Amino acid sequence: MGGIVAKLKSRLGYAGAGLTLVVAALAPFLLYPQFSKGFAHLGLHVDEIYSGGPPVRTIQATGYTIDIRGQVNPHIFQTEKPFVQLDWKPARNLPPHVSDAVDIDGDGKPDVRVSFDVPRDPKTPLRVDVDSLNPRYESMQNVGKKKFSALIVRVDDAILVRIPVKQ
Amino acid sequence: MAPNTQTARESRSVGRSLLLTLPIVVWALLMSSAAYGHANRAQWIASAVTVLFMITLFFMMMRTSSTYRWRRWFFVALGLLFPVGFIHQVMVFRGTMGIPIEEMIAGRTPFCFLPIPLLILPAAFTKTLVFPGSILPNGGMSGGGMAAMAAVWLAVTLVVGKGWCSYACFFGGIEEGMASLPAKAKVRKIDPRWRYGPWAVLLAMVLLSLALFEPAYCMWLCPFKAVSEYVAARNTVGLIQNGIFIALFAGLVIVLPLLTKKRTQCAFFCPFGAFQSIFNKISVFEIKIDKSRCTPCVLCQKSCPTMALTDESIKQGETLMSCMKCGACVDACPKGAAVWHIRGTEVALRPERARLMFLYAAWAMSIMFAGGIIAEGLATILHIFI
Repeated sequence: MGGIVAKLKSRLGYAGAGLTLVVAALAPFLLYPQFSKGFAHLGLHVDEIYSGGPPVRTIQATGYTIDIRGQVNPHIFQTEKPFVQLDWKPARNLPPHVSDAVDIDGDGKPDVRVSFDVPRDPKTPLRVDVDSLNPRYESMQNVGKKKFSALIVRVDDAILVRIPVKQ
Repeated sequence: MAPNTQTARESRSVGRSLLLTLPIVVWALLMSSAAYGHANRAQWIASAVTVLFMITLFFMMMRTSSTYRWRRWFFVALGLLFPVGFIHQVMVFRGTMGIPIEEMIAGRTPFCFLPIPLLILPAAFTKTLVFPGSILPNGGMSGGGMAAMAAVWLAVTLVVGKGWCSYACFFGGIEEGMASLPAKAKVRKIDPRWRYGPWAVLLAMVLLSLALFEPAYCMWLCPFKAVSEYVAARNTVGLIQNGIFIALFAGLVIVLPLLTKKRTQCAFFCPFGAFQSIFNKISVFEIKIDKSRCTPCVLCQKSCPTMALTDESIKQGETLMSCMKCGACVDACPKGAAVWHIRGTEVALRPERARLMFLYAAWAMSIMFAGGIIAEGLATILHIFI
């Protein structure tokens, strides 16, 4: 009986090793593409602290648009403040100086006035002033990109501004 | 010795070694042609040199029946050439080794395998990936998104388990190279409790990543940030982070391997290595000690770069679960007692068959994943001259 079990275990072991070789041979052609597609379709998303909230509304301006994204609330131990992200795009159509009053919450009244210069060289660091017209949103003076929740950056052909929301 | 057992140390004839290398020749050419369909001259030369290099090393493994010393050439080349290719790539894409905040927001932070265990709990609880990369298979900085790396990791892990740390990791080669430089270790007595280091770091980093919703290891402790990319030092915190990266790299990857002749970062610190150890439990390939042949001289224990053999484990004929199947103990054993083994089969019964099956699988994965990295690094150097 013990001999049969040992033989069975041995055959299973070799079968496993053979299967491993088959897996290795199939890895670049079948497994890798299937695994990467499968991972992409797991329904996971990158933390909104990095990616910003989902687009909520778009405001049409002359020659460009402002996408308003949903509020991002940091998780319990994250040190960032809640924020909203506004995307000005396309950056190539923006005037040399932008100063827009933006209605973030869609109640028909402007909530913030956002002002920044748009340098011709995309590598030039950006600075933004945000004047709060609604106490819910924080003002910012001459802010660059020190924190994820309060910044102005150029990403591809858009200029993104993140405005902290009071807790 | 039973009549149907054999040692794994008999050398082969050139003809038989060539015959055994033939499948790897075909595989290497296949992988190379797939990766370099539209290559420039430097990339063609680099690809050809890499293919030749990988085939030659495999041939030598077949000819000499020795694994570790040939694998080490590949592994050190991988460790040294990865930073060359990678740093060149980030400089071309964004002009700096620092990760600018806009690149994180754009989801273009390159994703390596080290944060994989840190992402599991936040993803399980909130479906959120706490890494500023891209989920798309062709996303990220240069088409190497999180999906691509996760897929490579899963495929290689299914095949070699913790062998990842010896046949695929593009960081470990630097310390393996450092550990191989001195003739003798200056520090020989190492407290065995250091073996629990990777598990402690893994536990701490997993919990911290879940609490802070950030890849804590990448933010604070990764020694290899020093030779890949670092946190752009926008403030004092950034400076402290970079200081930690450099200190850990200098200590764990350069100085300690030189003093101990061990892969100290892997053995005492790497949380990914601890995580990968779990997959040794499901891998069919392992290394065993044939108790009937073992004297015990403990040469295997001394040669193990990650201290995966203890007096007790040798008595039991086992390696610890941190064994990364590098083959150092098998090469070091003068009695042929340390052997490659397929789970379920009798120990020391046809160990060379087990070794061959493992090496075909592992080398195929190395060529698929690491071959491209070696070729990229070589091509970067060749670009200077061509």
